[in-house]
Amino acid sequence: MEPVLEIEFLKKYYGKSANQTKALDGISFRVMQGEFLGIMGSSGSGKSTLLNCIATVTRPDGGDIRMEGVRVQNLKGAGLAQYRGRKIGYLFQNFELLDNLTGRENILLPLSIHNLSEAQGGKYLFHLADYLEITDVLDKFPAQMSGGQRQRVAAARALILNPKIVLADEPTGALDSRNARALMEKLAGLNRERKTTILMVTHDSNAASYCGRILFIRDGRIFHELRREVPEESRQAFHRRILLVTAQLEGGSANVL
Amino acid sequence: MFYKMVMRNSRRSRKENGLFFSSLLISIVAFYVILSLPRQDVMLFLEKMESNAVDRLMGMIPVFFYVTLILLFFLIYYAGSYQMDRRRHEFGVYLVMGMRRRKLFAMLFAEDLGGSLLALALGIPSAVLLSELISLVTARLVGLGIIGHRFTFSPEAVLGTAAGFLIIKLAAFLLISGRIAAQETGALLTDKPSGTKRQLPLPVYWAAAFLGVVLLGTAYGTAISGISWENAKAMGLTLLTGLAGTGLFFFGLRALLGFLAIAGGKRRGLEVFDYRQLQEQVILRSNTLAVSSLLMLAALCCFGAGVGVAGFYGSGERHVLDYTFGGKGMSAEECGEILEETGLDAWFSELFEIRLGYIRTTDDHENAFCMDSIMTEVSQLEKSREQEILLNNLSYVSYPYLIAVSGYNRLLAAAGNPLLELGEGEAAVYMDGESLSYQRKVIMDHILKGRPEVVLDGTVLHLTGEVQTENLVTDRVIRLSFAVIVPDALYEYYTQGDGSIYLNGILDKVLCEETSLMNAVGEMNDRLDDAGIPYEGYLQNMGRQLFFLVAAGYITIYLAVIFLIIANTVLGVQFLMAQRKSGRRYRTLIRLGASHQMLCRSAGRQIGWYFGIPTLVAVCSSFFGIRALFSGLLPTIVRGSILEMMQIGASMIFVLFVIESVYVAAMKRSSNRYLLSLMVPEREE
Repeated sequence: MEPVLEIEFLKKYYGKSANQTKALDGISFRVMQGEFLGIMGSSGSGKSTLLNCIATVTRPDGGDIRMEGVRVQNLKGAGLAQYRGRKIGYLFQNFELLDNLTGRENILLPLSIHNLSEAQGGKYLFHLADYLEITDVLDKFPAQMSGGQRQRVAAARALILNPKIVLADEPTGALDSRNARALMEKLAGLNRERKTTILMVTHDSNAASYCGRILFIRDGRIFHELRREVPEESRQAFHRRILLVTAQLEGGSANVL
Repeated sequence: MFYKMVMRNSRRSRKENGLFFSSLLISIVAFYVILSLPRQDVMLFLEKMESNAVDRLMGMIPVFFYVTLILLFFLIYYAGSYQMDRRRHEFGVYLVMGMRRRKLFAMLFAEDLGGSLLALALGIPSAVLLSELISLVTARLVGLGIIGHRFTFSPEAVLGTAAGFLIIKLAAFLLISGRIAAQETGALLTDKPSGTKRQLPLPVYWAAAFLGVVLLGTAYGTAISGISWENAKAMGLTLLTGLAGTGLFFFGLRALLGFLAIAGGKRRGLEVFDYRQLQEQVILRSNTLAVSSLLMLAALCCFGAGVGVAGFYGSGERHVLDYTFGGKGMSAEECGEILEETGLDAWFSELFEIRLGYIRTTDDHENAFCMDSIMTEVSQLEKSREQEILLNNLSYVSYPYLIAVSGYNRLLAAAGNPLLELGEGEAAVYMDGESLSYQRKVIMDHILKGRPEVVLDGTVLHLTGEVQTENLVTDRVIRLSFAVIVPDALYEYYTQGDGSIYLNGILDKVLCEETSLMNAVGEMNDRLDDAGIPYEGYLQNMGRQLFFLVAAGYITIYLAVIFLIIANTVLGVQFLMAQRKSGRRYRTLIRLGASHQMLCRSAGRQIGWYFGIPTLVAVCSSFFGIRALFSGLLPTIVRGSILEMMQIGASMIFVLFVIESVYVAAMKRSSNRYLLSLMVPEREE
């Protein structure tokens, strides 16, 4: 199986030598086609920086990010816009829907940005909306939707161009537990049924338990990795294992393995 | 440190609000130019002859000045509170860090004062230069020559400008900072939600837009048909209809923009986003859009009225005669003799007599002249306002002046017009050109083609040719609303030698060549005064026209400029602020892959629409508004010149478009700079 995304020795430092913060200190990993990868870590561990580097919002200081073999840092102008819009789909913690556009217009926004006709995305929009259960809010404005509906509209927007990978930045961060579970089930379903590759940053262990593999980051380095044993391991069992690692991450010194 | 902070802040706000700052500069220039009007060459020159009128105008200037001060105060207050609102968070941080309110106030005051002083320092010198230029150009245009030019720098105008400007700035500052100071620190730190307006059902907006268009149409209709000029009530009603129509149209505009956003068709780029952005602006600010559009219309109408009045007084009448002698305590004959003796006649290319007098062969003033045939013909014409006026005017004519044709022909020759040839039993009609409207002249000319029969004290005469309208003498006070031009023999017979004689003179253009006509006339006046010859000169009469020309030109252009500044600054500031409020949306678009060019195109389109809609509405209204102004205010200059009027209108609209494109270009630059700043990734953790 081909890796979709390869990260090699990625470095990002903030500040000058004396009080330098190493947000990313030489991280390497690969995301395979159809994988649902979680990145966990406490606040300040570098997980958001990692995501921002992949999303080309932040420029790394060293190392490589390769999307289907192409070095992302080398992209410029049209190529960069193409990468942002069509290779990756971004799911924000705060949804980032444009509040003066209807649900439908928000979802179709990437089509307009990349000069594709609405007809091309129309059919897929219908499927996505149906699957994400947002058909009846398509013509409403974000202010008229619930938080869960907003995030699912945002998910539809991230998926509308069928990106190679969906980058989800704490997607459940602004949702209550019921809505969070609904969203995670939808994301996991997309991954399972449509083989959508997802890279999710979270510190919600519940959300993380939907992933197939989890990387734990501490002080800018990969500290641990968990794999869910499918199909024999239940989500609940996986969740318990995650909790153990997070307890360790948060300062415990016990051997969690 | 404090000083540095003030400097840095004011530099930053100048950079961010370049548009507002340049508007301040333009208003300073406008203030100075209007206040320095008394020092202009033309005004100094006019003051010698038309001191009354000039004094009246000078008395009016402060009124204009104060009115515009008040208008600009609102502009400054409006733009200023936007700027302050944007910095609320910053003020909150200062206060949390322990800055005392007094110090914050001092800092803001210093910033504001610094900006104002800089605006004055830049504005006043440019204003002085500009008013100097205007003085020279107007002097040259009216033929004053630049020899007698005096430097127009006016300390009073500088003081007035500076004082007025600083006072409104200070007043606005106090009001705004008072409002900020009254808020708690916590309230400053939290972002104020921009607030959404409650939406009414969509059909309401469609209905509003439709009703707006209907009301505007009604207003245009009544204005052009002349109904609104009949009395103050009708005019008020028209204005009210127009205002309500504009307001309703902009109120309902959101429906149209919403329709554009959801309408099908091939979409390119961020069109849907653009329409939604505009829709939001229109929803939040439909009133200011309407007011801006009305201000633009007012500016166009001011330009129109200025050009119209100037055209009326400036070129409405041709100038043929320079001097008229006689009738001022010395007969024309005596004047002629003295002119010959002193050799002054050599300065004239033409010196000829105009003779006119009453019918002296009868004492029956009621029936000395009878033109029933003409009256019948006029009354049989289709009823119209013009026809009624003509009929009424003619009904009073029973004892007209007679004019000898020989003198009148000299006048025609001097004016370069074909001469009158009166045969046996023929006469021509003379009517004053200024009070005769184009339509009435057409009616009379048409009737005269039929050689109507009239009776002059028992003698039957046939009227021939067209209506004659040349000014008989230079004195504009002497006007004959109706006279009959007759062959010299008839003139001598009917007036019994008891008529008035005026000696008209035209200065030799070759001799005048070396200096401007104005100066030549001025010199000749001195010589005539020395020779003791009483005269009536073109210049005295010209003075009044010139005065109206300059006054109308100045005042209207001044007002138009002020209106345009206000309209554009309001629109511009509003758009840029709204764009900054949408910063988060633009960032999302960038993360979704929108390039800088795409965002700039999108913002450009929004700016185009945002400025375009009010401009377009103003232009549409101005087509009717200017026409209505012309037909209402200036009935006599409409010499069959719908075309000419349209040319004036078109050129004004062209000027407006140029000004608007300059503003739009400036806005786009500013917006592009802002969007570029968003492209730089931001750490959000």
